Amino acid sequence: MANKKNNVGVRKVSTIDRLGGQKFIVLLIVIVLFAFFSIMSPNFRKYTTMVSILDYSYYITLMAIGVAFPLMTAGVDLSIGTGLVCYSLVGGWLIAFQGWPTWAGMLVSVLFGIVIGILNGCLVAIMDLPPFLATLCTCMITRGLGSIIVGGFGISWPAVSADGGWFRKIFRIQMESGKVLPIGFLWIVLIVVFMTFVLNHTKVGRYTLAIGSNKEATRLSGVNVRFYHIFAYVISGFFAGLAAISYSAIFATVQPGTGAGFELEAIGGAIIGGVSMTGGMGSITGTLAGVFVICLLKTGLPFIGLTANWQQIITGLILIFSVLVDILKRKKEEK
Amino acid sequence: MGEVILTMKDIDKSFPGVHALDHVDLEIRKGEVLALMGENGAGKSTLMKVLTGIYTKDSGTITYEGKEVEFHNTKEAQDAGIVIVHQELNMLGHLTVAQNIFIGREFKKGIRIDDAKMNEEAAKLFKRMNIDIDPKETMSHLTVGRQQMCEIAKAISHEAKVIIFDEPSAALTETEIEELFKIINDLRSKGIGIVYISHRMDEIKKITDRVTVMRDGTYVGTLITKDSTKDDIINMMVGRVIYEDPKTHSTVPKDAPVVLKVDHLNAGKMVQDVSFELRKGEILGFSGLMGAGRTETARALFGADPVESGDIYINGKKVVIKSPQDAVKYGIGYLSEDRKRYGCVVQKSVAENTTLATLDSYTKGIFIDKKKEKEVAEKYVESLATKTPTVDQLVVNLSGGNQQKVVIAKWLTRDCDILIFDEPTRGIDVGAKNEIYKLMNQLAKEGKAIIMISSEMTEILRMSDRVAVMCEGKKTGELDISEATQENIMNLATREIE
Amino acid sequence: MKKKVLALLLSGCMVAGLLAGCGAKKEAPAGNDGAKKEDDKGGDLHFEVVVKSFQSSYWQAAIQGMNEAKKELGIDFNATGPNAESDIADQVNMLNNAINKNPDGIALAACSQDSVLESLQMALDKKIPVVCFDAAVPDAPEGSVVSTVVTDNGAAGAVAAEHVYEAVKDQVAKASKDAQVRVGEVNQDATSANIIERGLGFINKFIELATADGKKVAVVGNDLFVDQTEAEVVAEKEADVIIEVAVPAQTTVELSATEAANIMNKDNTIAMFGSNQVTAEGLLTANQNLNVLGDKIVAAGFDAGSVIKQAVKDHVLLGAVTQSPFMMGKLSLETLVKVNKGEAVEDIPTDGYWYDSENMEEPTIAPNLYD
Repeated sequence: MANKKNNVGVRKVSTIDRLGGQKFIVLLIVIVLFAFFSIMSPNFRKYTTMVSILDYSYYITLMAIGVAFPLMTAGVDLSIGTGLVCYSLVGGWLIAFQGWPTWAGMLVSVLFGIVIGILNGCLVAIMDLPPFLATLCTCMITRGLGSIIVGGFGISWPAVSADGGWFRKIFRIQMESGKVLPIGFLWIVLIVVFMTFVLNHTKVGRYTLAIGSNKEATRLSGVNVRFYHIFAYVISGFFAGLAAISYSAIFATVQPGTGAGFELEAIGGAIIGGVSMTGGMGSITGTLAGVFVICLLKTGLPFIGLTANWQQIITGLILIFSVLVDILKRKKEEK
Repeated sequence: MGEVILTMKDIDKSFPGVHALDHVDLEIRKGEVLALMGENGAGKSTLMKVLTGIYTKDSGTITYEGKEVEFHNTKEAQDAGIVIVHQELNMLGHLTVAQNIFIGREFKKGIRIDDAKMNEEAAKLFKRMNIDIDPKETMSHLTVGRQQMCEIAKAISHEAKVIIFDEPSAALTETEIEELFKIINDLRSKGIGIVYISHRMDEIKKITDRVTVMRDGTYVGTLITKDSTKDDIINMMVGRVIYEDPKTHSTVPKDAPVVLKVDHLNAGKMVQDVSFELRKGEILGFSGLMGAGRTETARALFGADPVESGDIYINGKKVVIKSPQDAVKYGIGYLSEDRKRYGCVVQKSVAENTTLATLDSYTKGIFIDKKKEKEVAEKYVESLATKTPTVDQLVVNLSGGNQQKVVIAKWLTRDCDILIFDEPTRGIDVGAKNEIYKLMNQLAKEGKAIIMISSEMTEILRMSDRVAVMCEGKKTGELDISEATQENIMNLATREIE
Repeated sequence: MKKKVLALLLSGCMVAGLLAGCGAKKEAPAGNDGAKKEDDKGGDLHFEVVVKSFQSSYWQAAIQGMNEAKKELGIDFNATGPNAESDIADQVNMLNNAINKNPDGIALAACSQDSVLESLQMALDKKIPVVCFDAAVPDAPEGSVVSTVVTDNGAAGAVAAEHVYEAVKDQVAKASKDAQVRVGEVNQDATSANIIERGLGFINKFIELATADGKKVAVVGNDLFVDQTEAEVVAEKEADVIIEVAVPAQTTVELSATEAANIMNKDNTIAMFGSNQVTAEGLLTANQNLNVLGDKIVAAGFDAGSVIKQAVKDHVLLGAVTQSPFMMGKLSLETLVKVNKGEAVEDIPTDGYWYDSENMEEPTIAPNLYD
């Protein structure tokens, strides 16, 4: 009887959920993709290719970690992609054309991201605009603003050998042998660890999840919902700023008018990694794994000789699959 | 009788177009349970929202522990020791039990949230309440009743001096209500002032010391519970004596045609081998505890959930129902227990909701014939006595009972012969309840066949011609109303659990 | 009250959105009326200029050329352009607005050949002469486009092929069926006429040169480029030289780099060609990790920009082909002035110029090497 009573109060939960849910599946997908491409293409398993994959993953990972927070409040931030380009353009322009030191340009990039984050947050949390609409507006604003400020030119941050090019060594260090040390990944790991802590063990994370779970209930619990709701968007903006720096460090030139579409890769990565679009759930490590699914596909598919159109189709199919597993599992659970 | 801990005097509050509270008084005493009663829309919830800082009052005074106070948000009220256990479950499904209980006032070590300590404190709390819940369990994994207990635990943990229970029993099983009353008695003995809002008269009689009654935003009066009768209280609430007479025997002729026959229906764990018949003009009550599988049976029958096996016959013909569209085609209407989520589109008008299921009949080409739509809606408003200023009123602004009537109207426009009422009077006040009962009886008399799922024993006994009882996904028995009693229904409802 | 604030904010958003939509619309400074001389100059002529976008240094150089014409001829012009080259509808809108201003002429760099046809008819009806620059509009209504000023992209691609072939001649000579060599080409897309012509120009020229030296060539990779190659080719197995054409799934530096890295990783690759600024930078980005360009692999780019210029200077790139946006801009306006004076005009093809570390400082080249 006593035993039975306990079961009455608790619904059934699947084994996969106990193992870490979506994270677990995504990690498997990453491993499978990696093994598959390595077997199929000898050039894929080269050290230089690994470094390239890491190089091109930093900005998406940073954006994804940031955007995970608005997503977990059941919102979204569409402004991170064009925002990234805008912040990078402005920072790079100050350095290249206004003679500012590199650190100042970097600081401006991040601050600009935070400002747009605050704007997004206020539109959503105070003015009650739907997040999709609010951030679509700021997406357009940042897209135009970057071009206007720099005057329409493509902007190159200082090259690694040039004065002020030291910041590129934050992400990649060229050794004397010519080999490149992808030091950026170390920072990414540290950031993931830190943000996991923030998400699971601080008020910011707790209330982000709470707002996504049930905003009204959170408000009635006496939480300053407005502040934490805004804060989620500030995190997103801040990370878009960091992503701008990593993007500038890896790629030579930033072109105005680009960046639309970056946000979809980041949001896609987060969702594959188990961040719920309806809010309340998510993990940073899962997000990292989700981003790697996308990055592996982006590099791996060309390496096995697939042409552009096929790459798009395969990527779409794999993304459907990786999200579907989770949905199917949930449907089964509901029964 | 304890000393007065909180007084609300001359509280006035207006919303655009509505005078919600008209100089209302309320007095809460230490170590006493005060029932706050009134029909939906009488202003109980508004009054409590003013008290806990969710709304700001226009005028009047609140005196708490001898000082005049005004709270600007729930946190201020909580900090002062006034907490509310909400009618709707205010749970954060993805967080754990302990995280829910301590949301907004987490224990911290530096910037780190101390989950270990929170779990410990929550466990202590549950031990004090003498209920068995794991603080580390994810909230959405708990049943509704358990979630309610967590909500109460949260209120208690605030070191509250005044606790307001806003219809706490709506989602609870009989056993859980017993547990709740034990907890409330315990709190009372510790000198806490309790406000208990409920529609269930038997509970009011059982647990409360005084009853304050409100009507249409005004204060009507206060009675001592043990010195007053049910009728006294109801008279104060509605100003008229009500209640349909309970049925003692079925009025359905024995040879009435069987309109619906369900044969060995299986749909997941909650619907196992369920068979029953429904006759024309009959009200078939479905009784059982929370989670017995009654709603699931209805949903499977209605095509909302997939059926695994079993046959369904309508008017003797075998049919396959794969989706709600199919069900509607065969003349089955389903009135969900959760009106706000499934029953009606609350942000739309009465007229729009009424015609939602039959919009095709009100269109000219691609345009909706607004005039005709309005006429039909007005017809049903009149025949169902729906209380709404106009049919253009948004449904969200209606009281629960009137919302239910709009949903009924929606199904009646479809000429459904079989109506499934799932908890038709949940959250509806006594006066409106009775009107719904009248309406159901009238529909049955007109030849509709009705399945009524209800967790309220009195409702089952009052309305049904026959009673089917379920337990843990199986039908455990069927009783004619003439032989049904609380005891034998309860017996069937708990048969599987031992 | 709250609603008002909301409305205000929304409209603010929309205005900002519109601004963004118009991109970095740069109003050209008004004409220098005082210094204007009447006689053989342009007089009070006002022209409207619609470019593909302002989003690259390339278009900025074209505007510079126009400013030069403005100074010399004493005319006035106003330039607009959409946010990105893919915003075709926006551009049509801008073109229609320009026509409605009734200018003395319009210089147009069309994003899409087909979508501007109706507008051109409108211009013809209003008797506004149109000069197309950078991109031709072959199906334009008879008489609407008075002159077309475009780079011969095929020839420009061929120029790159000639220089690359010269540099890898010895390796090609040693190549055989059993020791194939590989030449890679990365094109930004397979939809824009300019890019396709350039890519094919390179391929066809390279094959022509190799065949002349008695080598068999195969073209593999992107179907469109494989199918449209005109020069004589053989099956991949039979070939001494393989030309591999890649097109990224999206036009980002990152994907261009990935495609480039895929080819550059192959052992027998001896040369690479990136047919515009994005793909040329893609080669350089891939090279950050691979370190093979200028050493094991000869590479050529297209267009300029500070990064490509630096790479040419550092011998990472053998060289690059630059178009002459400056000249195209200037010539377009000059042609419009001529039309207004009633002089006969004809199409003007402009060249692609090869530049490398040797000649990039020369006065004929340097003005076209925008940053």
